[in-house]
Amino acid sequence: MAQIAAERYTGASVKRSEDPRILTGKGRYVDDLKLPGMLHAAFVRSPLAHGRVLTVDASAARDLPGVVLVLTGSDLDAITIRGQDPLFAMMGGDGPKPDYSLLATDKVRFVGDPVAVVIAESRYLAEDGCELVEVDYEDLTPVTNTAFALEAGSPRLFANLDDNIIGPHKRSEFGDVAGTFAAADRVAEFRIDVHRHQNVPMEGRGCVASYDPDSGVMTVHAATQGVHMTRMGVAMRLGIEPDKVHVLAGDIGGSFGLKIGASREELAVAAASRALGRPVKWVEDRSENLAASGQAREEGFDVLAAVSDDGDLRGLDVKMVLDNGAYPVMGTMVPGIMEMMLPGPYKLAALGFESTAVATNKASYIAYRGPWASETFVRERVFDLLAKDLGLDPLEIRLRNMAPRTDPPQLMVTGRPLVGVTARESLERVAQIVDIPAFRRRQAEERARGRYLGIGLATFIEAAPGPRSPEAGSGPMGLEFMRLTLAEDGIVTLFTGQMPHGQSHQTTLAQIAADEFGVPFEQVRVVVGDTAVVPFGFTGGSRSATMTGGVALHGARQLKGKVLDFAAVLFEASAQDLEITDGEVLVRGDPDSAIPVAEVARQVASGQFPGDVDTSFEVEASYDGGEGGWSGGSHCAIVEVDVETGIVKVERYVAAEDCGALINPAVVEGQIRGGIAQGIGAVLLERSAYDADGNYQSATFMDYLLPTACDIPRIEIEHLETVPLDADVNFRGVGEGGMIVAPPTLVSAIEDALAPFGVRIYEQHLPPARILELIAGADAR
Amino acid sequence: MIEVTVQVNGAPRTASVEARKTLADFLRDDLDLTGTHVGCEHGVCGACTVIVDGRAVRSCLMLAVQAAGAEITTIEGLANDGGLGTLQQAMWDSHSFQCGFCTPGFVMQATAYLSAHPDADEQEIREALSGNICRCTGYQSIIDGVLLAAQRSREA
Repeated sequence: MAQIAAERYTGASVKRSEDPRILTGKGRYVDDLKLPGMLHAAFVRSPLAHGRVLTVDASAARDLPGVVLVLTGSDLDAITIRGQDPLFAMMGGDGPKPDYSLLATDKVRFVGDPVAVVIAESRYLAEDGCELVEVDYEDLTPVTNTAFALEAGSPRLFANLDDNIIGPHKRSEFGDVAGTFAAADRVAEFRIDVHRHQNVPMEGRGCVASYDPDSGVMTVHAATQGVHMTRMGVAMRLGIEPDKVHVLAGDIGGSFGLKIGASREELAVAAASRALGRPVKWVEDRSENLAASGQAREEGFDVLAAVSDDGDLRGLDVKMVLDNGAYPVMGTMVPGIMEMMLPGPYKLAALGFESTAVATNKASYIAYRGPWASETFVRERVFDLLAKDLGLDPLEIRLRNMAPRTDPPQLMVTGRPLVGVTARESLERVAQIVDIPAFRRRQAEERARGRYLGIGLATFIEAAPGPRSPEAGSGPMGLEFMRLTLAEDGIVTLFTGQMPHGQSHQTTLAQIAADEFGVPFEQVRVVVGDTAVVPFGFTGGSRSATMTGGVALHGARQLKGKVLDFAAVLFEASAQDLEITDGEVLVRGDPDSAIPVAEVARQVASGQFPGDVDTSFEVEASYDGGEGGWSGGSHCAIVEVDVETGIVKVERYVAAEDCGALINPAVVEGQIRGGIAQGIGAVLLERSAYDADGNYQSATFMDYLLPTACDIPRIEIEHLETVPLDADVNFRGVGEGGMIVAPPTLVSAIEDALAPFGVRIYEQHLPPARILELIAGADAR
Repeated sequence: MIEVTVQVNGAPRTASVEARKTLADFLRDDLDLTGTHVGCEHGVCGACTVIVDGRAVRSCLMLAVQAAGAEITTIEGLANDGGLGTLQQAMWDSHSFQCGFCTPGFVMQATAYLSAHPDADEQEIREALSGNICRCTGYQSIIDGVLLAAQRSREA
């Protein structure tokens, strides 16, 4: 069915081709898969934060009818290869490499650490089996915070490391840090903390692994952000040639950074399938997801700010300690990105940044939407706190510090050019939309009535993909690949390594290719999720708009060129005089000449061309990101704080965002709103809480609170479209920005609401109890 | 094992199940109706919502044996002739969802609510759906879809 009458699909809110299946229950998620002879896995998990595994007795479990196999840590260790997490191995760089097994052998290192896997005829029976596995532990002193972890003599998590430092201490300086601080009118000092919270996709992790002993092929049906990365992980750790690992993925129920590569549990399930020669399914339940899948953030920042009396922020010196939890996945990679991004769109002339990532007895630090987001939180918090110190308006201090848009562009002190950044425009625009002076009048009136309203602003930029570096030979995000084909029925098919899990790629990529090639949207298919047919790639880092959008555009252009070359022969015309419009090839200006693309494909395939002519309508395209560019924007929140209950209500939320040219506005706005909702949740509700002994306190949805439809306001979005940088591709990524900038926006608004109490906020998690403490604490001062 | 017969989406279905099996697992595993999703197994997220004897029910909190004899509607039973019902069409038009995992629960919850409250306003709909969690959308597009469906139903 034709959806829109627009000239172009790109730029229109084309209805998603994903939705008819999703809305009728015909989506195919990993848990929906049922293979003949399939078994089910469940994991025995550590009840202790830190303990030595003395004995694991699985005999009673093995005797239970319906239980087929139990693998203890040492059983599994014998049939797999030790190594690092696939994501860490791919991107982790140098540094300590802790030695550990897929299932605990010597030690358990967090509550939920997997110790054994039980494979049975049903999930119910597998869980029964888990109850019967007896594990003797020796309690070890839990290491539950970074200060203790760094103490000399603190218990070590890993026997092969000398201490608990997992990301070695590193200091970098950009600009003249010492000189800037020496010359500053004043130096302000802050300690800012970001709390631990987590992804919580509605579908947990999971897989069905199916090993065929005859062919030696391991097929893994995965919930993943990239089938090739999962294949790499499975091949590495199971010792299988990559070409014998076939990874497939269907619909994915969200991820936000969680489902990358192959988790320890998924590798255990694959190894169990190989041991049995039967398919094995594992889908984590919610308590496993909350306790053991991984968590994010939890960093502490000691900040020194060199500032002039009139509010110019000249330099920052930041010392960060990151609580990595137990195992290295993402925690050691984040500091480098934070360092690069900390200056944001501002004129900062000097930056000292030092970081240490520390292992503790908590779940592992993983990627969560905007993994480096705390740099924006810290920077924007610093501006608000400085504004208070100096008696400046939060809008004014930001505007005065923002780098002007110049040609050539200003460089961030950490090096990248701020080309095409519209931070100033976005900030001025949100301020105008909410009418700050009018708000201040209302705020004063309401305060007189005992109602506490506050307004908050924050600004960010995101390297999605980031500007092309003048000296680098390659683009900002490497290469993105796509294979495109035209079939004899006229269907154009795009094969992409993107693995959508809510991002609507099957719609947006088809929009771009349909426009560029010249066929109706309905004539384009997007194939994902099969290592046998899709090129390398993954969904993450807000890369797909530019990188995959770009390769779809250029690939479709190449494919069209190929079609027109053949059509030129058939038409006895010059290819330059031909075009493809609405699925038909025609001589420009001569509608009567039109024949369907499918007809061209059929004629070319009919054998009339010599055998040495490549008559396949297939191209392998790649794209380096072109000129790239920044995404970014400014957000503004208006909140009301009930000072009796501590409850914060978000009254209004406005975002002015610039992600370049929009492919599909409804999809873009969905990404922005979803990110903001997660940011609101992070501030008002969500916390991955541990007690002092490392017991996990947030393993159900009664304890880990997520925002609901009553917590998230109607979010107003305005799009700014900057100066185009590239001749063809000016779509930029927008997946992470909402989550990056919503927390500082909201905290800023809450602080403003509580200004009459003298409250200053140095943290991100502000549930009602904490709000009341802040008010009481400020009162006491 | 206990034999359970239910009326699902207008047709009688029978399977033998353990007494402890949840209705959600019964629908998914025994009746192959995998449109109903399991998101938390403790009754908070609402992804597994189905309609049992006219009421929206969390199928993870109900045992299959408790549903014996009941009339059940799942997401698979809403479509008209393989197409989309009014609510589903309005949700498509409103770009209501992203990953789609929570979708069946929202659709079933909203179906049950709208049938009893066809004139509901935005705030009432937000409250009615506040027992369903979506992690992708920030809810606005879902609420818009339900409002659009209500409006179209009134105009029809």
